[in-house]
Amino acid sequence: MNQHPPSLARKFFQLIAGAAHVDDLLGDLDEWFYINLKTQSPRKAKLLYWKQVLSLSLSYAMKKRKRDARFSNYSSSSFSVDMLRNYVKVAFRNLYQYKYFSILNAFGLAIGMSISLLMIALISFVSTYDNFHKNKENIYTVISTQREGIEEKAYATAPLVLADKLQSEFTGAEKVVRIVKGSNLVKTEKENIPVNAYYVDPNFFSVFSFKLVQGHATSLSKPNQVILTRSAAKKLLNEENVIGKTMELTDGKMFEIAGLMEDHPNNSHLSFEILISLPTLPESKLSLQDQWTKFDRQYVYVLLNDKATRNDLQSYLDDISKKTSAQSEIKVTFGQQQLEEIVMGPDLRQSIGVNWDTTGMLIFGAFAALILLPACFNYTNISIARALRRAKEIGLRKTMGGVSGQIFLQFITETIVITLLSLVGALLIFVVIRAEFQSMLVAGSTLDLSLTWRMVVLFILFAITTGFAAGIFPALHFAGLNPIQALKSKINTRGSSLQIRKILTVFQFALSFGFILSLVVFSKQYRYSLNFDFGFEKQNTVDVELHDVDPEQFRTAFTQLASVRSISMSSGLLGVNTSNTWIRDQQNDSTQVAQLFVDQNFIPNFDLEFLAGKNFPNEPWQRERYIIVNEEFLHAYNIEHPIDAIGKIYEVDGVDLEVVGVLKNFHYAPLNHPIRKFFFRMNPSHYAYANLQVTSTDAYTMFTQLESTWKQFPTTKKFIGKYFEDELNDAYQTYQVLLKVVGFLGLLAITISLLGMLGMVVYTSENKTKEVSIRKVMGANIRSIAFLLSKDYLKMMGVAIVVAVPATAFILSFLLPQIQYYSVQLSVWDVLISVFILLSLGLATITSQTYKTAMTNPAITLRSE
Amino acid sequence: MDLSRYTFKNHHMKVYLGEFEELVLLTIAVLGEEAYGVLIQKNIEERSNRPISIGALHSTITRLEEKGFLKSWVGGATKERGGRSKRYYEITQAGKKAVAETKSLRDELWDLSKIKLALK
Repeated sequence: MNQHPPSLARKFFQLIAGAAHVDDLLGDLDEWFYINLKTQSPRKAKLLYWKQVLSLSLSYAMKKRKRDARFSNYSSSSFSVDMLRNYVKVAFRNLYQYKYFSILNAFGLAIGMSISLLMIALISFVSTYDNFHKNKENIYTVISTQREGIEEKAYATAPLVLADKLQSEFTGAEKVVRIVKGSNLVKTEKENIPVNAYYVDPNFFSVFSFKLVQGHATSLSKPNQVILTRSAAKKLLNEENVIGKTMELTDGKMFEIAGLMEDHPNNSHLSFEILISLPTLPESKLSLQDQWTKFDRQYVYVLLNDKATRNDLQSYLDDISKKTSAQSEIKVTFGQQQLEEIVMGPDLRQSIGVNWDTTGMLIFGAFAALILLPACFNYTNISIARALRRAKEIGLRKTMGGVSGQIFLQFITETIVITLLSLVGALLIFVVIRAEFQSMLVAGSTLDLSLTWRMVVLFILFAITTGFAAGIFPALHFAGLNPIQALKSKINTRGSSLQIRKILTVFQFALSFGFILSLVVFSKQYRYSLNFDFGFEKQNTVDVELHDVDPEQFRTAFTQLASVRSISMSSGLLGVNTSNTWIRDQQNDSTQVAQLFVDQNFIPNFDLEFLAGKNFPNEPWQRERYIIVNEEFLHAYNIEHPIDAIGKIYEVDGVDLEVVGVLKNFHYAPLNHPIRKFFFRMNPSHYAYANLQVTSTDAYTMFTQLESTWKQFPTTKKFIGKYFEDELNDAYQTYQVLLKVVGFLGLLAITISLLGMLGMVVYTSENKTKEVSIRKVMGANIRSIAFLLSKDYLKMMGVAIVVAVPATAFILSFLLPQIQYYSVQLSVWDVLISVFILLSLGLATITSQTYKTAMTNPAITLRSE
Repeated sequence: MDLSRYTFKNHHMKVYLGEFEELVLLTIAVLGEEAYGVLIQKNIEERSNRPISIGALHSTITRLEEKGFLKSWVGGATKERGGRSKRYYEITQAGKKAVAETKSLRDELWDLSKIKLALK
């Protein structure tokens, strides 16, 4: 017996086995070796030994023995409800025991989740759009793309004539509905009330599932018939018993009320108050010469029969597009959208109802995530940092047979308990901010964000998911603890996890800083826009909409008022709305130019500066002859000296006009448009506004005077007069919304990062009580101790600022010109103000805790040890 | 023609024993108190006249243990084993029932099959 089993193979086997019990297998292997040695050569026996080692190493037996070795004898991997109950109980006890941290965590998570709740509510509502139609799978709307030259525009509209073609030529169409969108004024005794009207075909009701209460849909096949929704009936006639009554529109047409229907649900993309029979529209409007290229406000919906598919419809539309646009300059192609795709579909021009474009949703989602993730991270961070407190518990659980899966489950349960508690807080915030949020959205009024069961379920699922996301790292960390080290309270919290924590904290502060800086810059841009020098006088001017009042009569009546110094007329408001037209010089190049029709008083009244030439001649108007251009106009036509432009002739709208004056550049359009070439024209038939130069300082008396003067005119329209400066400023109201949003989100982000920091500072201070006491005994003063405790956080805030400044500057430099062409630049002052705000908030948070720790009497803490 | 003899009797078989599993269980039963790794393998190899791998054998034993058909205990170190103890296996009550059910299924099929005649 001088031969021995190969020791390398045995060592290999032991290495594979690890802690598993394999004594019996090793014995068996040895026994086989000596058995083989009797019949085989030693070499062969060793080879067989190796083979058996490999065979066992790869076998299920080894796998199972290794798995068993991982757990204590008391372990059970089976899941029991009792254990779960215990986890929840322990979770509540822990929350109660460490109240301070629980409140910090719950508060932070509640804030973090609130925006996401809005997002979920919004998605939950938007996803239900148009789901109440019985035929929803088979209803399609025809959309169009118009290509003229290089310009391509996508529209939600389609020509009514296409509906006739579909009905007669396309076999897949079961029903086709034509809709023309109109907004009308209904005449009532007191005033004219605007209503949203759709002109529709009778089969509107058989294709869509709207509920008709009284009357018949067939009446819509006759002209001058109207069906009211309940709320329209209430609004217009103040009663519901309306059948057979008549209704008058302001254009003098009389309608018979043929039916009453329920209001359409909020989640309908078709949004109307009254339905008017389509034949009411004049014949000319239904079949114009250019009906295949001009179809504003016309919509076509098709209900396909069961045999037809979407592809059939599309290929029919492709065919017809080819035929119709063959001869015309404007190429129109048709496409289709399924009913339920309309609302979340691409942003089309002239969409019939609301449109929730996906990009906006994604941006909103990104913001929700930017608020939620830091809150989750705070939880993760504080939990891992405080692992030491739970170490003994985990060590004991593991020694008593707890397997890592169970520890993981315990901590995940704990996190989910806290996120569910936070959900209550988040829900409160949600309810508070919901109305404000709705008012900020363009289509907010059609939104219904009230709580439904579906939403509650989604919220709870969301809370659980959040709990999982926030709790997974701590849970994995605790599950992976070595019980021996845990029991000895020797947990290694150094290393990579600390590094990641620092990076994430820096990220949080960078985010907060970004919000603060954006807020500072946006408010600066808002102030800048309000005080912007437009290049004309904007004070002491009141604009009055002329409507159908004759400009000359208006002038005569209003100049008699003492408070009115002078009156000028214009087709639009300078700096707010101007129109565009085509201009052609001698070389026959047609280019676009902005224009405003004014009278001879306009330019002096607005104090515009002439570079050359003179104002429109002060003589009775006969025909249009002159234009007054701006500097940019000269640049566009390469005219060097303003004086050279005088007398040049341009063809506009088929008329030759002569330049009589050149004005210094001024902002004729809102600040989001650059100054381009522009001219003033004179033509009384275009006047829509009277601009009154007023002297009065008492606005109330003046407006009453103006209004009573207005009443002399035989018009049904109300007097609408506004200070010009207010109208200019109204254009920049988006900033108020923007400031509100950025401010609110910033507030949330900052609160979350401060809460996170507070948690960490409290924790470090608690842990360093002994160190602080010893330092104090050895003679350290309060300030140096406070600094010692704070310096890590100060450093992180410093890094955050260094990171955030270029990042925010980059984003803002891209964003600001997008919002407004004439925008402010980020200055050192903005950065300094933001740094000051962040640092003072941060320092207040840190020092509140560190000073408390530094002030403690060392005798007390040291004695208690 | 009487079809009743082709109908199935219900054996309430909850477990399925593979051929090799049955072989291992029966061999352990045959060896009685002597059943441990090396001896089981030798026995099967000699009786069935085929080589089996040690990994496959122990995997099957492990699975049978998991199913509750086998129990084991440790004991009996010898010099050839480098002083390491053996693990002895014994068939449990459930194991006996499982082999018995497999056997009765076999017997039933034998009774019904035509091979019966050929063997006579």
